[in-house]
Amino acid sequence: MTDANRQKLLASLPTSFETGPAWLRALRGRAAAALREQGLPTKKTEEWRFTPVRSIIDAVFVREDGRVSTLVSSIPDGVRARSLRQVLQADPGLLEARLELGGAPTHFAALNTALFTDGLWIDVPAGTVVEAPIELRHAIAGFAETRVAYPRVLVTVGDGAELTFIETYAGSETRQLINAVVEVDLGRNAKMSHVRIHDNAGLQVGRVDVRQDAESSYRSTVVTLGGALLRFDVRCLLQGKGAECQLDGAYLVDGEDHVDHHTQVEHEAAHCRSRQTYRGIASGKGTAVFDGIVVVHRDAQKTEAHQENRNLLLSDAATVHTKPHLEIDADDVICSHGATVGSFDEDQLFYLRTRGIPEDLARAMLTYAFLESIVDRVGQEPMRERMREALLARIPRGDDIRGVT
Amino acid sequence: MLKIEDLHVEVEGKPILKGIDLEVAAGQVHAIMGPNGSGKSTLSYALAGRDGYEVTKGRVLYKGKDLLAMPPEMRAAEGLFLGFQYPVAIPGVSNIYFLKAALNAIRKYRGEEPLDAIDFMKLSKEKAALVQLPDELTKRSVNDGFSGGEKKRNEIFQMAMLEPSLAVLDETDSGLDIDALKVVAEGVNALRSPQRAMLVITHYQRLLDHIVPDVVHVLIDGRIVRTGDKDLAKQLEKEGYTEVRDAQQL
Repeated sequence: MTDANRQKLLASLPTSFETGPAWLRALRGRAAAALREQGLPTKKTEEWRFTPVRSIIDAVFVREDGRVSTLVSSIPDGVRARSLRQVLQADPGLLEARLELGGAPTHFAALNTALFTDGLWIDVPAGTVVEAPIELRHAIAGFAETRVAYPRVLVTVGDGAELTFIETYAGSETRQLINAVVEVDLGRNAKMSHVRIHDNAGLQVGRVDVRQDAESSYRSTVVTLGGALLRFDVRCLLQGKGAECQLDGAYLVDGEDHVDHHTQVEHEAAHCRSRQTYRGIASGKGTAVFDGIVVVHRDAQKTEAHQENRNLLLSDAATVHTKPHLEIDADDVICSHGATVGSFDEDQLFYLRTRGIPEDLARAMLTYAFLESIVDRVGQEPMRERMREALLARIPRGDDIRGVT
Repeated sequence: MLKIEDLHVEVEGKPILKGIDLEVAAGQVHAIMGPNGSGKSTLSYALAGRDGYEVTKGRVLYKGKDLLAMPPEMRAAEGLFLGFQYPVAIPGVSNIYFLKAALNAIRKYRGEEPLDAIDFMKLSKEKAALVQLPDELTKRSVNDGFSGGEKKRNEIFQMAMLEPSLAVLDETDSGLDIDALKVVAEGVNALRSPQRAMLVITHYQRLLDHIVPDVVHVLIDGRIVRTGDKDLAKQLEKEGYTEVRDAQQL
């Protein structure tokens, strides 16, 4: 079934693309050719080993929904936010060589490149500092038939510019697929804070590709509240000296959720810093995956890279896979990585209970405190508050522990 | 208030308490003294209901009820308080929130309305002053980054807030310098009342200079070998546990 669907999906890809500027047609053509050659991932594809791609491929998405992404905030002065479709029609030269920053796409990202019809380009010109966040919401409306959407987002932040960008992925239908690609290009000294909240019961696959110039800073926080299948990859290419990235994540799986976060940090230049902190809770029959790699290239001396993944495994039927790893080709570096999978701290649980706090409430407090430490690192209080509320809504007895931290 | 009868407790299959009999009346302060490994902490954990402390024989009546049948939170709601030898840090849970949740859980159990925010803050300010706990510490995560003395003061602060009828204080003096010890002891003394009983567990006599007990018990190898008044503590200090034990055996 899956193999037949896989072939059918690949066969449905056009061999030549007729619309849009020549460079885009060539880009899509290359993506489609790569897909036909590589195929879509299977269980045997190493970096997709733990991801049940079958559920995506078998869904046979008949209808594409082109307009799933909606700006839900105003656009601050000095920032340009334009529809990709419009720019590609009116002024395609502006985008030439700006898509595919991270190199040739593979698998589902290639599918997005071949098939996306619209999207958003946010451009913050050099020196522009934007305080108010820009927020984009991705949601497929509830329809009876299965649907697929290919959101495509390009964010360019010029030298010395600053941006806070929020994305929410929402949906209640398990038969919808969002296959997203977000590309971020940070100039020298640029700063970006990127928040993603995945509150989507459906299928989500996507990647965030970040290219960073010297002294730039990228801070990403993702909060994932379950989902039938989520597979999101974040890749940071630290290409300029002194660039830094911080990748944080908090996730909860329950029921039969599958949540799969992959990170890849490429230290290509010297004096760069990266820090990853992901924390998750697995209960029910849920599966949570964290797979992170840090690659320190030969010339990236004075690199500092840290990776930490901690999980609470709260039921016998739940599963956690964690695989933080490092590849180091430079000699003057400080690197660390670590992973834990455990249960509640019995001492903490007992302490709370000796003060009269019922066991279920004590568990809720410890669950929430464990994840809230990720939220606590987000820069803006209103954003933190939203994330806290999102977590409380998912944690059993969450309503009764509001204000705990 | 508390009646312990022939209490036997095992930890990981190893007998630790081998038949404790003890009766504490309301208004009394009893001290339990003993060397390391005698079972002092096991007694306090067994009374508070910790997992892994298996009662193999005996019973404990608290206000006439079967204490051992209750989960830890119910024991607390019934008015039992355990002051920990090593208070646990809980990063991410604020001290003041935690206490409010605890107090209101206990009130709910007793069929009382939750305390509103203003009354709670007033009460907490008053009780924090009792042990000179800085305001800033009440807002931080529970015991997170607290010094040894701050943790112990926080224990007594919690006790003052929860107003237990039976307080079991497990080596409250350990890790305290003399000034901190005085502050903690004054806090405890302020909470002595005719309605409240206390079980003060300690290795050293010096705490008992500040919290003067009505009765002193000596616990050695899981049994109470001597019981006396406050002078027994002084004798222990002078002669040591070995002497007292051997004297008992004669």
